[in-house]
Amino acid sequence: MLTDADLQALWLTVRLAGAVTLTLLLIGTPIAWWLARTKRWWKGPIGAVVALPLVLPPSVLGFYGLLVMGPNGPVGQLTQALGLGPLPFTFGGLVIASVFYSMPFMVQPLQTAFEAIGERPLEVAATLRASPLDAFFTVAVPLAAPGFLTASILTFAHTVGEFGVVLMIGGNLPGVTRVASVQIYDHVEALEVAQAHRLAAVLLIFSFVVLLALYAGRPGGKKGV
Amino acid sequence: MKLLRPLRHALLACLLLLATMAHAEKVMIAAAADLKFAMDEIVVAFRKINPTDEVEVIYGSSGKFHTQIQQGAPYDLFFSADIALARKLVKAGLAASEVKPYAVGRIVLWSASLDASQMTLASLADAKITRIAIANPKHAPYGQRAEEALRASGLWEKVEPKLVYGENIAHTAQFVQTGNAQVGIIALALAVNAELASKGGYGLIPAGLHQPLEQGFVITKHAEGRALARRFADYMGSKPARSVMTRYGFVLPGEVSH
Amino acid sequence: MPGGLAARKAFEMADIAARFRLDWPGFSLDVDLGLPGRGVTALFGHSGSGKTTLLRCVAGLERAQEGQLTVAGEVWQDAGRWVPTHKRPIGYVFQEASLFAHLSVLGNLRYGLKRNRDALSRPLDQAIELLGIGHLLDRKPDRLSGGERQRVAMARALAVGPRLLLMDEPLAALDLPRRREILPYLERLHRELALPVLYVTHAPDEVARLADHLVVLEAGRVVAAGPLAETLTRVDGPIRVGEEAGAILEGRVMARDARWHLAQIGIEGGDGAALWTRDEGLPVGAAVRLRVLARDVSLTTQPAPSSIQNVLPGEVEAFGEDEHPALQRVRLRVGRCRLLARLTRKAVADLHLAPGQPIWLQIKSAALVD
Repeated sequence: MLTDADLQALWLTVRLAGAVTLTLLLIGTPIAWWLARTKRWWKGPIGAVVALPLVLPPSVLGFYGLLVMGPNGPVGQLTQALGLGPLPFTFGGLVIASVFYSMPFMVQPLQTAFEAIGERPLEVAATLRASPLDAFFTVAVPLAAPGFLTASILTFAHTVGEFGVVLMIGGNLPGVTRVASVQIYDHVEALEVAQAHRLAAVLLIFSFVVLLALYAGRPGGKKGV
Repeated sequence: MKLLRPLRHALLACLLLLATMAHAEKVMIAAAADLKFAMDEIVVAFRKINPTDEVEVIYGSSGKFHTQIQQGAPYDLFFSADIALARKLVKAGLAASEVKPYAVGRIVLWSASLDASQMTLASLADAKITRIAIANPKHAPYGQRAEEALRASGLWEKVEPKLVYGENIAHTAQFVQTGNAQVGIIALALAVNAELASKGGYGLIPAGLHQPLEQGFVITKHAEGRALARRFADYMGSKPARSVMTRYGFVLPGEVSH
Repeated sequence: MPGGLAARKAFEMADIAARFRLDWPGFSLDVDLGLPGRGVTALFGHSGSGKTTLLRCVAGLERAQEGQLTVAGEVWQDAGRWVPTHKRPIGYVFQEASLFAHLSVLGNLRYGLKRNRDALSRPLDQAIELLGIGHLLDRKPDRLSGGERQRVAMARALAVGPRLLLMDEPLAALDLPRRREILPYLERLHRELALPVLYVTHAPDEVARLADHLVVLEAGRVVAAGPLAETLTRVDGPIRVGEEAGAILEGRVMARDARWHLAQIGIEGGDGAALWTRDEGLPVGAAVRLRVLARDVSLTTQPAPSSIQNVLPGEVEAFGEDEHPALQRVRLRVGRCRLLARLTRKAVADLHLAPGQPIWLQIKSAALVD
C-alpha cells in the first residue's frame, strides 16, 4: 500500500515531532514559568517574541533559518567553530528550526496553566519548608499537569503538520529531512496523485488517532480547594 | 431641473471610467521560476508600449502550475520549463493556442564561494565539496536534467550522497547563494542574472550529457478570446523580447546567446 | 504606646522583636513591637488595618522595605540579612485552608514533615490526634467540609514542628456552626502545646477566648499592645474590642449550686474574689474566662442588699474619656485583676471618686466567654 519511501517519511515525521516536543518541554517550561510569575516590564516584549512564530509565514521563518544557520550566518559560524558543521539539511537543524516554530504552542498553554495556579499554593509550600525549586516540582508541576498535556499535544501535532520551514531548510533528503508532508508534496508535484492520496490519508488517520488518544486521556479538570 | 445637473456629470464620469476600464485589461501569467529575471524585463518593456494594460506574473514550479491549471486556476498564459507539460494541456483541451517554444534551457554549475567557471562536473567529486544543490529530479525539469548529466558522466554514485534538493530552481539557487551548498546545478537563465553573476561565474554543462530542456508556452483556455493575452503572446516573438531572452540564455535553435 | 527608651527596651527584651515599615499605594505599615514567646498573641483590627500584612511580614511572605525581625535570639531579617520563608521554623494557617488539591489529606500532612529533617513523626501523630482528623487521612481535599479542611490545614502547619505558629483569621471563612466546632480545638492547642502563636482576627469573641496578649492595629499602626486584660481595660484612647468595652477575667469553677443553678467562678489573681454566674454545665475545676462589660459594672461606697448579687471589694485606679461627654470610663482593681466601669461624670463627682480610693463593685452580669 505504502512504499518504503513513504514509510520512511512517516517514521521521520514521528521522530521529528517527538524530538521537538521533548526539547520544548525542557526549554519551554522555564520560559513559561518565568512569564507566568515575573512582574518585570519586559514580560510583555518577551511574550510577544515567543508568540511571533504564530504570525510569521513558515517559509519566511525557514528562509531566515537558512541564512542564520548557514555558513555565513551567526549560528552557522558558531556550529562550525564547535566542529558541528552547518545545521541546514540535517535532522538536528530541523529540530532546532522546529523548536522555534512550535515554541508558542508549548509556552502559551503552560503559561496559562501556571498562571491559573496563583501565588497561594507556592506560599503554602514555602511555609512547609519547600525551597522554590522544590515547590516548583512538587506543587506547581502536578497542579499544572493538564496544561503540560495540552501543550505537548499541540506541539506534537503542530510539528507533524509542519511543511514550509522543513522545505526551506531541509533539502528534502530521504531518511534525514524528507518528512511526510514534504513527501506528499513531492507526490503531488510529480503528478503521482494516487500515492499522494494514500500517504495523506495515512498521515491524517495517524494524527487523528494520536490526538484522540491524548485528548480522551485528559483528566477531568477539578481544581484545587 | 437643478438636481439633474450634478447627476448628469456623475453619470458621464462613470461612463468614461468604464470606457477606459474596458480597454485596460489584466492578464495573469504563470511562468517557470527560471524565467524570473528575463520575464520581468520583458513585462516592463511591454508595458511601456501598452501603458494601460496590466500584466501580472507569478513564478513557481512548472509542475505545480500545470496541476493548478488543470484544476481551473485563472492563469492566462503558461510558460513551462518542460514543454511536455504545456503539450499536456493542449491534449487535455485546456489551451487556446498551440504550444510555442521559447527556449532550450541549459544547466550550469554555480557557486557563491568558488569559481564555477573553472569547474566541470568532475570537480563535484572532490572531497572538499560536501554539499551540492540540485532541483528535485522527481518533479523539476532542471533537476531531471542535472541527474541525467551526472549519470551520463558516471558521477552519480559518487555525488549522490552529497546532494540536497530544492523545491524549484530558484529555491536551489537560494541554497547555493546562502552558502549552504558550496555548488549547485542551476539554470543558465538564473546564473546570468546580474545579482547572481556578481557573486560568481558559471560553468556551462555540455548539452550532450542530458535530454534537451525544451521550454514552451501556451495561452490557456481561461484567456480564450482575450485580446491582451494574444497581444502578449505575439510580443514574445518580437525582436526586443527575443533579445532579452537570449541575453538571459534562453536560446532557440538557430539563435546565439550573448 | 509608650515611646522612646521604654519602647526600645521592650523591643530588645522581647522574645519576638518585630519592626516593619512598608509603603504601598494606598496602604502603609509602620509597626514596632515586642511580643512574648509564649501563649497566643492576638493581632486584632478591622479589614485594612494591616494585621494580615504584619503576619505575612513575620512569615517572610512580604518583604518590608525596612524591617527587623528577631525571634528567640535568631535574626530573621535586618538591613543585611533576609531569611527566606522556607528556612524559617514557622507554621502558617491561611484564611482559606489552601490544601494541595493534588494530594490526599495524609499527603498534605506529610508534605512539610518530609522536608523538615529535625522533625520526628511525633508532631504529626500529635497534630492528627489534637485536631481529630484521623478518619480523614485518605480523602482528597475536595471531599472535605469547610471545617474539616481548616482542621487539616492546622494539623499540616503543626506537622512541620514549628517554633512559631502563625494563623491568619483561620475561622473567618467558616459559618457559625463550623466555628463553634473548631474553637474547642484551638483552645486545646493553646492549652496543650507550648508554642507561641500569632493569631490574626477581627472577631472579638476569638480574642476573648484565645488571646493572652493583644495587639490592636488601625490603618497600619499599632494603637495598643500588651497583656490581654491590661490592654482591654486601658482607659486612654478608644480601645474597643467588640461593640462594648469590657474586661476579661480568667477563673476556675469552684462550686456549683444545684438548687439555684448557679456556678461560682474563682477569679485568678482576685485575692479570693469570686463571681456567681449561670451554671452552664462545666465541671468543678474547669478553667474558664469571664467577660464583664463596662456598662454592667456599677460602683457604690456602701453595699446594700439589692438584686445585684455579685459585689466585690476593689479600688479605683484611673479615669478616661468615653465617647459621650456625659459619660466617663473608670478603671478598677480587684486584687491583680482589672475591670472597667462606665459611669456618668455626675456620678463620679457625686461619689467623690479618686484614684486609690477603695470602692465596692456591683457586677450586674458576668458571662462565660463562649
